[in-house]
Amino acid sequence: MGAAIVALIALGTAIGHGQLSSAPAAKAMIQAAALPAIDRGLRDQDPPRAARTGANADADRVRSSQGDTLPYVRGSIIVKFKDDATRGAITTATAQVAGTIADRSSWADFDIVDIPTNVDPEAAAAAMRARPDVEYAQPRYRNHAMARPNDTLYGNQWNFPAIDMERAWDIQPGGSADIIVAVLDSGMAFQSGTVRYNSRFSFRLTPNGPVYPPLGVVDVPFAAAPELGPSGSTRFASPRDFIWNDDLPVDLDGHGTHVAGTIGQLTNNGSGTAGMAYNVRLMPVKVIQSLWDEIFGSPFEGTDDIVARGVRYAADNGAKVINLSIGREDGGAATAVTDAIRYATGRGCFVVVASGNTRADGNQPNRLAQPAPTIAGMVAVGGVGRTLDLAFYSTTGPYVELSAPGGDQRQGGTSAGILQQTLDLDMLETYTRPPSQYGPPRADSFAYEYFQGTSMATPHVSGFAALLMQQGITNPAAIEAAMKQFSTDRGATGRDDLYGFGLINPRATLRGLGLAR
Amino acid sequence: MSVTTVARTLALVSAAIALLLGSPFDASAQAARRPASVEGYAMLGRINFTAVESFDAIVGEPSGPILGGGVRIGIGVGGLLFDVGVWRFHAVGERAFIFDNEVIGLGIPVDVRVTPIEISAGWQFRIRKLPKLIPYAAGGLTSLRYEETSDFSTSSDDVDGTFNGYHVLGGAEYKITPWLGVAGEASWTTVPDAIGEAGVSKVFNETDLGGTTFRVKITIGQ
Repeated sequence: MGAAIVALIALGTAIGHGQLSSAPAAKAMIQAAALPAIDRGLRDQDPPRAARTGANADADRVRSSQGDTLPYVRGSIIVKFKDDATRGAITTATAQVAGTIADRSSWADFDIVDIPTNVDPEAAAAAMRARPDVEYAQPRYRNHAMARPNDTLYGNQWNFPAIDMERAWDIQPGGSADIIVAVLDSGMAFQSGTVRYNSRFSFRLTPNGPVYPPLGVVDVPFAAAPELGPSGSTRFASPRDFIWNDDLPVDLDGHGTHVAGTIGQLTNNGSGTAGMAYNVRLMPVKVIQSLWDEIFGSPFEGTDDIVARGVRYAADNGAKVINLSIGREDGGAATAVTDAIRYATGRGCFVVVASGNTRADGNQPNRLAQPAPTIAGMVAVGGVGRTLDLAFYSTTGPYVELSAPGGDQRQGGTSAGILQQTLDLDMLETYTRPPSQYGPPRADSFAYEYFQGTSMATPHVSGFAALLMQQGITNPAAIEAAMKQFSTDRGATGRDDLYGFGLINPRATLRGLGLAR
Repeated sequence: MSVTTVARTLALVSAAIALLLGSPFDASAQAARRPASVEGYAMLGRINFTAVESFDAIVGEPSGPILGGGVRIGIGVGGLLFDVGVWRFHAVGERAFIFDNEVIGLGIPVDVRVTPIEISAGWQFRIRKLPKLIPYAAGGLTSLRYEETSDFSTSSDDVDGTFNGYHVLGGAEYKITPWLGVAGEASWTTVPDAIGEAGVSKVFNETDLGGTTFRVKITIGQ
């Protein structure tokens, strides 16, 4: 989408990003039933789109239009005080940055310290880190999806034969409902209904582009993606929306639904596409916002604290695998998220994180993925294209541990991406039309779209982990070791910064070892 | 001291006892008066594999029953004997993944067959006071066929190979009648570099497909 930076014309109430404790009236489920989902089929004639990075995340465009180009949120920081810190010490510490502590959020072992908006969050966090009673402190960096939808059935899914999945499915046919895979993303098309939003301001998508008017109160129809499972079914476990602070993590972007499809698309059902672990249960956890969420004034955005809470929520609610096709390049270490990932692996969750999509654009590491080599049970995943060579976008570095198909449309056009069913982008992204045709989105229309990015590679590994768990390897550290041991070496012999230990090899890993072979 | 070491020691001790029970004098005394003989035998026993951890990981224990048979020929030159025997070990286990020395079974059946052919030369002895008891000791070459097949495999995934090694054995036969006897025997076999390049044997750095066997034989012939 490029560097569309926007000047907001604040005709309406400015979008709020305050830390509300409950969902605002801007989003409300008004009808829990809807017409059947629309299936608009294969979208293989749409031009390729760039893999998503922090520079082109849709959701950032509205915020940028408000003049907020910082990679983190102003007015608050994440602080974890040491367990033995006294109340007095905490008060003194927060006073040092003229801060106040809000009530601790659920699924958080850290606090959000509100600071004056004119105080640099980096400086405030540094001041807090210098105190002996503080374990860590960091700005609330924003995270985004690691891929960008690209527009076009099993014959089109080159990615599964590329990793020998047909023979892997012979051994382990799709896992079972005992395994829950949490998809921490932009939400998931998991439920049908109508949700009422309030679009209260106008915006531009390009500096000199047309003004898109506020839409007022709009009713947005949603449907569960037909290839994920029926709305209200047990296919979906413990949904949670940390962007709107409710239990309705519907997808207004398409990214999360696409990622969920690669993990668990219904398979052998005579239609659509296949998924890696097609019998598992999916846990939709919304931790990043879409452009529509921004337009509708979501109270939260995908900052580190939100992602960390999402990880803890997933671990506490039965997830065995956590998929993070998200991340950020800006700022320093994502300590709050790293802590949460350590918590999750300690509870028996295997955590998979995208390596990032910046290789062709400075190769900045995904801060969420960087700790992977230091955490047994967490892996960082790079993407390969149809030729199994590293994709042009796939961020390289010492933290990359495994590779999986992410697509590379520079090497093979649209169909060289990863195909899954997701929201019909023509019906969803009405903001790509002229203002006269701009209107509320539909989230009940679906199409098969080719996406590319390490976001697409990551769910291959998450689905693979679910299959290994079903096969008997339940220890996250053992899963990581098995994946590495049986990976197909690519690039330089042994581990390297491009492919990590190599391309995942589910069939060989699931077979394990005999006595002599 | 490992089970394997104990078993190997027992095999060697058995061979030594066999040598001691019959003196060279006895043996040479036999040279002129012992006729040629041919015996067939069936045997039942148990093997303790040298690759303890590998067999334990895949088939659940490092030992198991064996069943076989063979022919023993005394050529009438003293106590000199020649023996050709074959036996088979067969077990069904499951494929596994090893993590931090923990064996994680993967539920995929694996079928392991070990079939050695043992060609031995040795000496059998006479004890004047116990003419029905015939101790013997021998050694020779082992040609071992190892087969490993598992579900969900292709031919290239399975193993079917023959490896060479050697063995020593010792025991004693008791003649119930001139045509029927029963024998107890221990043997130690080494078949180096037969395994260890892949599979759990690589993880455990075990390369020898040999082991120690204890077997009971029923012999027919004279």
